[in-house]
Amino acid sequence: MAVNASSQPSPLEVGRANQHDVRIRWSDGSEKIYPARSLRLKCPCAMCVDENTGLRILKEPGIPLDVHPVKIEPVGRYAIVIHWSDGHNTGIYTWENLYELGQKLA
Amino acid sequence: MVTEQQVLDALRAIQDPDLHRDIVSLGFVKDLHIERDAVAFALVLTTPACPVKDEMKKQAEEAVLRLTGVKEVRVEMKSEVRAMADAGGQLLIPGVRNVVPVGSGKGGVGKSTVSANLAVALAQTGARVGLMDADIYGPSIPTILGITDRPLPGKKGIQPVDAYGVKVISAGFFIRPDQAVVWRGPMLSKLVDQFLHEVEWGELDYLIVDLPPGTGDVQLTLCQRIPLTGAVIVSTPQDVALQVAEKAVIMFQQLKCPILGIVENMSYYICSHCGERENIFDTGGAERAAERWQAPLLGKIPLATRIREASDGGRPVGWDDPGSAAAAVFSEIAKNLAAQISIRHLKEEAEPAVKISF
Repeated sequence: MAVNASSQPSPLEVGRANQHDVRIRWSDGSEKIYPARSLRLKCPCAMCVDENTGLRILKEPGIPLDVHPVKIEPVGRYAIVIHWSDGHNTGIYTWENLYELGQKLA
Repeated sequence: MVTEQQVLDALRAIQDPDLHRDIVSLGFVKDLHIERDAVAFALVLTTPACPVKDEMKKQAEEAVLRLTGVKEVRVEMKSEVRAMADAGGQLLIPGVRNVVPVGSGKGGVGKSTVSANLAVALAQTGARVGLMDADIYGPSIPTILGITDRPLPGKKGIQPVDAYGVKVISAGFFIRPDQAVVWRGPMLSKLVDQFLHEVEWGELDYLIVDLPPGTGDVQLTLCQRIPLTGAVIVSTPQDVALQVAEKAVIMFQQLKCPILGIVENMSYYICSHCGERENIFDTGGAERAAERWQAPLLGKIPLATRIREASDGGRPVGWDDPGSAAAAVFSEIAKNLAAQISIRHLKEEAEPAVKISF
C-alpha cells in the first residue's frame, strides 16, 4: 500500500559531473551520472509524454546533440525542474523517478 | 559556590518528552548566571505552545535547587520556533518559519473550523500565527472569525487582516458573496502564489493554510512552491470520509510533504439532557487511520452546538469561552501540533536539505 512512506534513498546533492552532465549523490552512498541529452529525452512533462497513454511524443531527432541544463531548481520537497539550453523548462523530475533513472542510465 | 557545569549536569537529567532528548543537549538552556547561592537561566523551548512547559519549568527549578549551595533558582521560559529553510539557511517566504496546510479528502468535515480554531489557539499561546484561507471555492474563514474588514494595500503587497491575534488572508476578501469562482488551474496557482509572496505576513511562527477539499491544483501548487513543514489531515470518523482522506494522505506523501497528524472532527456527541455519549459517525476510525498512515492523532473534536454557534457567530470558542471543554480540545490539538512541528525540525536537522548547484 502506498500509504507508508517510501524507503527510497533521498538526494543529498545535485551538481555537475562535467560541463553538461548532471551528478546526484544519494543517501544510500550511491552517486549517479545523468548524461544531459538522455535526461532531456526522458522529460516527463505533458508536452513530451502523452498524459493518458504514457507514450513519448518527444521526437529525438529534434533535440540538439549538445542540449544541457542551464539551471536546476527545487520543486517543493519532491522534485527538481530543469531549465534546458533548448528553452524547454516544463519537466518536473521527481526524486523517485531520478533515482530509478539513475539505475538505468548508468 | 556551585559551578555552571554542575548546574548543566543537573539539568541534563530533564528530558523533553516529545523530542526524547535532554534539555541541555537540545540547547534549551541559555543565559546561565550564578551569583553566590542564586542561579538564574532561561529555557528557550522550540514553541510557546509546548504542552509540558510548566512541568519542565518545575522540574528544572527542582533539579537545580537540589544542588548543594543553591538557595534560589529563577527560570525564565522563552521560545524560539525553528524554521524550514533551504540548503543555504534562507527562509523561503521571508519571515515565515513554518507553512502547515490543513487538508481533507472530503468537503464538509470541518477543515475551516479546525484551521481557524487551531490558528487562534496557537496565537493564544503567544505564537505569531497567520491563516491563509486558500479554499477559493468556499472561503468560510471570514465568517468563522467574524471578519468584516477588508485587507488594505501595504508598502510591498497586501496587508492581512488581524482577527483574534491571527493574521488572516482569504479568497473571500476578494470575491463578492454573490459571485462564484469558476477558474481553471493556472488562475488557482496564481492566487496561491500571490497569497504566499504578495501578502505582508511579517514575522510568523506558523502559517496555517486552509485548503479546499480534494487533491487538486491548489494543493499541488502549494507543495511545489515551498517545502511545507507538514500537513494536518481532518476527517470525520466514518469509513466513507477516511477513505477519501487517505487520498489526500497519498497525495502529500507523493509530494514528500510529511503528515504531522490527524484531527478527528465530529468525533462524538454528548447529549445536553442526559449526558450520554453518542458516536454518531462511528468510533475508532481516526485511531485506525493514524496507525495505517503512521501519523499521530492530534485530537478529537466533539460534535457540539457551542462550536457550531461560535463558528456561525464569528467568535472562536477559545476566545469567547476559554474555560469550555470545546476550547480545551482546540488548545490541546494546537499544542500537539506544535510539538509535532518541533519533532519534525529535529528530524530535518538530522537529514539536511539537498544542495543544488548547477
